[in-house]
Amino acid sequence: MSRINKSIPFWRREQFTPFLLLMPAILILLLVVLLPLLFSLYTSFTGYRLIRPDSLYNWVGFRNYERIFTNANFWYAFGRTVLFLTIALNLEFLFGLGIALLINKITWGQRTLRTIMMFPMMFSPILVGYQFKFIFNDNIGILNNALQALGLSDGAIPWLVDKQLAMFSIIFAEVWMSTSIFAILLLAGLFAMPRDPLEAAKVDGCNPWQVFRHITLPFLMPFAFIAMTIRSLDVARAYDIVDVMTGGGPAGRTELLWTLIARVGYDNSRMGQANAMAYVSILLSIAFTYYFFRKLIAARRYMGGAD
Amino acid sequence: MDTKLKKRIGKIVSWLLTFLLMLVICIPGLWVVLTGFRPNREVLAKPAIWIPEELTLNNFAQIFGFGAEQIAIPVPAYFTNSLIIALTSTAIALLVGMSGGYAFARFRFKYKDTLFLGLMLSRTVPGIALSLPVFMIWSRIGLIDTKPGLIIVYVALNVPFTIWLIDGFFRQIPKEMSEAAQVDGCTRWQAFWKIEFPLAKSGIASAGIFAFLTSWNEYALASQLTRSTDSKTLPVGLMDFTAQFTIDWAGMSAMAVIIIIPALILTFIVQKHLISGLTFGGVKG
Amino acid sequence: MAEIKLENVVKNYGKLEVVHGINLDIAHNEFVVLVGPSGCGKSTTLRMIAGLEEITDGEISIGPQVVNELPPRKRNISMVFQNYALYPHMSVRENLGFGLKIAKQSDAMVEERVGEAAEILGLQELLDRTPAELSGGQRQRVAMGRAIVRHPEAFLFDEPLSNLDAKLRVQMRTEIKKLHQKVKTTVVYVTHDQVEAMTLADRIVVMKDGWIEQVGTPMEVFNHPVNTFVASFIGSPPMNLIPATVEGAEIVFADTTRLPVPARLESHISDGQKVILGLRPDDLTPEGHGIIESGQKASMQLTVDLAELLGTETILYTQINGQEVLGKMFDPREVEPGESMSFNISLDKVHLFDAETQKSVRLG
Ligand SMILES: Nc1ncnc2c1ncn2[C@@H]1O[C@H](COP(=O)(O)OP(=O)(O)O)[C@@H](O)[C@H]1O
Ligand SMILES: [Mg+2]
Repeated sequence: MSRINKSIPFWRREQFTPFLLLMPAILILLLVVLLPLLFSLYTSFTGYRLIRPDSLYNWVGFRNYERIFTNANFWYAFGRTVLFLTIALNLEFLFGLGIALLINKITWGQRTLRTIMMFPMMFSPILVGYQFKFIFNDNIGILNNALQALGLSDGAIPWLVDKQLAMFSIIFAEVWMSTSIFAILLLAGLFAMPRDPLEAAKVDGCNPWQVFRHITLPFLMPFAFIAMTIRSLDVARAYDIVDVMTGGGPAGRTELLWTLIARVGYDNSRMGQANAMAYVSILLSIAFTYYFFRKLIAARRYMGGAD
Repeated sequence: MDTKLKKRIGKIVSWLLTFLLMLVICIPGLWVVLTGFRPNREVLAKPAIWIPEELTLNNFAQIFGFGAEQIAIPVPAYFTNSLIIALTSTAIALLVGMSGGYAFARFRFKYKDTLFLGLMLSRTVPGIALSLPVFMIWSRIGLIDTKPGLIIVYVALNVPFTIWLIDGFFRQIPKEMSEAAQVDGCTRWQAFWKIEFPLAKSGIASAGIFAFLTSWNEYALASQLTRSTDSKTLPVGLMDFTAQFTIDWAGMSAMAVIIIIPALILTFIVQKHLISGLTFGGVKG
Repeated sequence: MAEIKLENVVKNYGKLEVVHGINLDIAHNEFVVLVGPSGCGKSTTLRMIAGLEEITDGEISIGPQVVNELPPRKRNISMVFQNYALYPHMSVRENLGFGLKIAKQSDAMVEERVGEAAEILGLQELLDRTPAELSGGQRQRVAMGRAIVRHPEAFLFDEPLSNLDAKLRVQMRTEIKKLHQKVKTTVVYVTHDQVEAMTLADRIVVMKDGWIEQVGTPMEVFNHPVNTFVASFIGSPPMNLIPATVEGAEIVFADTTRLPVPARLESHISDGQKVILGLRPDDLTPEGHGIIESGQKASMQLTVDLAELLGTETILYTQINGQEVLGKMFDPREVEPGESMSFNISLDKVHLFDAETQKSVRLG
């Protein structure tokens, strides 16, 4: 259109710069995420088994998918995973909100409290798993020891062996690890909260609960959605915890989608089938993230953020 | 009088709750740390010994290979691997993330939102699900059980979130700063390093620490992509203990302490920036 | 030391064209003000001169050189931004000297130039502070200092005063004027405030929707606006614009009020032409309260709805043709709302615009 566009090479042009800057990021993600995922998509239509390399070319169509969709164990693991996520995320939100409100009230030592609160977030999930494996150990765990010492229980409670208790223990570990991200972001929200609407509501005759319900909570929601989005990016870290604590046991009662994938893929070396399951888990994660990301954007718009 | 009393009770209750909360947060970690300094005999004792009778560095000496009894787990090698892999992948992720974050913060371009969402979604792929194809490909091209193999994966893992954070930090710096510098005689490159980078420095450092911790703590991928002392990291090494016939709780706890320490120190350093980075990137994004 | 020339300069953001081929010649050492409502493309134009925005089409030259493809740093200009854009991690001294340091000037030279700028702007006491420790007016001064230390070919200002409070704004306006007289350089100054434009400019460029509407000295633009937009944009309170029809030697409003056609405009209009009469409040004055009492006049009996006291003058709100019209009363006395007064209209100062094209009838 004009002489400028002719004389400046295309890679130096303004509209090209951002793509140039993003190139390394895009390349590495293509290489390490997208390409492998395409490969695994292909694999999920083959009968690939690790021990027989030529089975990679054994096209089986939708048989892997048919097989997992008609497999009760898969559906149990799927349902358990959704349930696990729902319970864990809701508890994390509720506890996080409670903690944020609590710490917001306290003026003395607030910074220290905030820092301590952040520690679990930085722990390796594998450590969190180990830590609670140790604490919930029926024989030498501090929890049982304490309960016995206080006379609250006489026998050894099988925290990680009993079907229901094992699930509870795992959710406890997960919530312990991840509540802080909610607490921290909601606290940041409380700090950023303007005073005027609060005071206006009080003058308008709202009681404390109404103020919280109609002013504070809506203001905090975008912050909750940031936390949800960040959390949904790495919910699958729960795999580490489960792997250490129970390995999916007892009798598959804590088997989540992710541990099932590892078992089918690596232990039973049925890569094709594992990849089919992996795709289900990926879609699940994307659905969670996408859902919260949209909510975040909507809430952000509502708060008048930039484009 | 009545309201005064109510207020006082409220205060006491909130203090109690806070105290309880801190107990729940701190005790598990502290207990593990304490166990790391106790002999196994005491850890396994029945009935429980609450107040340690003996504190020892033996567990650490042992896992680092100085102890009387040799243990089968080469922790020093794992430690070195972890350090090299985490540091290298963090450095690369930071460079890539800075470049990408800057693009998102400073430019308007086509498909910006789509691209951002795409980057974020790439991060949501569960580690174990990603490990399957990466495992298959890496074994074909010889990257299995190598440090570079894991480093590349960790860079990819960290880039999206690093971009998110750094985008937020650059956005806090008015665009006019860089423009003023360019009018003042800087190239865009100089303007970046002399003006924008110094202003975003502390934020970028926290993004780096966050990336470091993600790599340092990662397990799902490392457990499948590493085999031997060539590339095994600490979290994978920790699981070596459980493979033995009897769990060496004290030794494992000592190893846990080694994994925890960087997390504690680094958290302490970043906490302030991390919060502002997360909220800024998210709310004003 | 340079003239600036814009030839058919176009700017597109994607498909949207925001500047439509403008032409402008700025003379050496001239103070030119781009003025217009917000969003009309002033900043975009200035940023194209600075090199901060690519030019979609056309040509910009500074001095003898076409600068289309030159990055900002090679254009030898300096710019003052609306929010100052001081570098927060540097002291005032470092802020001032930054450009020279980048240009690898000797320390002695930097020292000297910074000292010189600090003296001109009265910044000597503030040199070791950081921007965070300065007031708004002081920051403004540092931003200007940063612009002058490099002895650039041209200064570019983008709404430099709009972040200041009203009083400071007037004070800084004078300082900018003085600065220009001290440091003779070409200045391109952007503002949406027509008072700033009138007081500062050697020449005003009035812009609207990406077009230049008129270029001229403040006097020209004020006395001979080329169209109704310029007429209503320049001057405060704005010019009254009243639709009317030419009938023979008279201008007739819809309510059949009539005025004689001013002698100097007779040759520019035709019988039956639909026109818009432009009348500045200054030229609609109650009998005995005008500024110029000579020249061709018409008078009208009007009812005052509201009087706004400003001290040396009073703004009178009245109605012509059922439309609110403002007049001015110099050397004022008390006026009661509802009072009927006899107003003089200085026909010599009346403007006529074609109703269809909105252009001044003098332009044919
Ligand atoms: N980066 C951009 N992308 C798209 N449109 C823009 C951009 N910058 C400015 N515009 C549009 O260009 C027009 C002129 O803007 P500007 O020059 O900033 O106006 P002003 O006269 O107020 O300084 C406006 O309509 C604005 O919305
Ligand atoms: Mg502007």
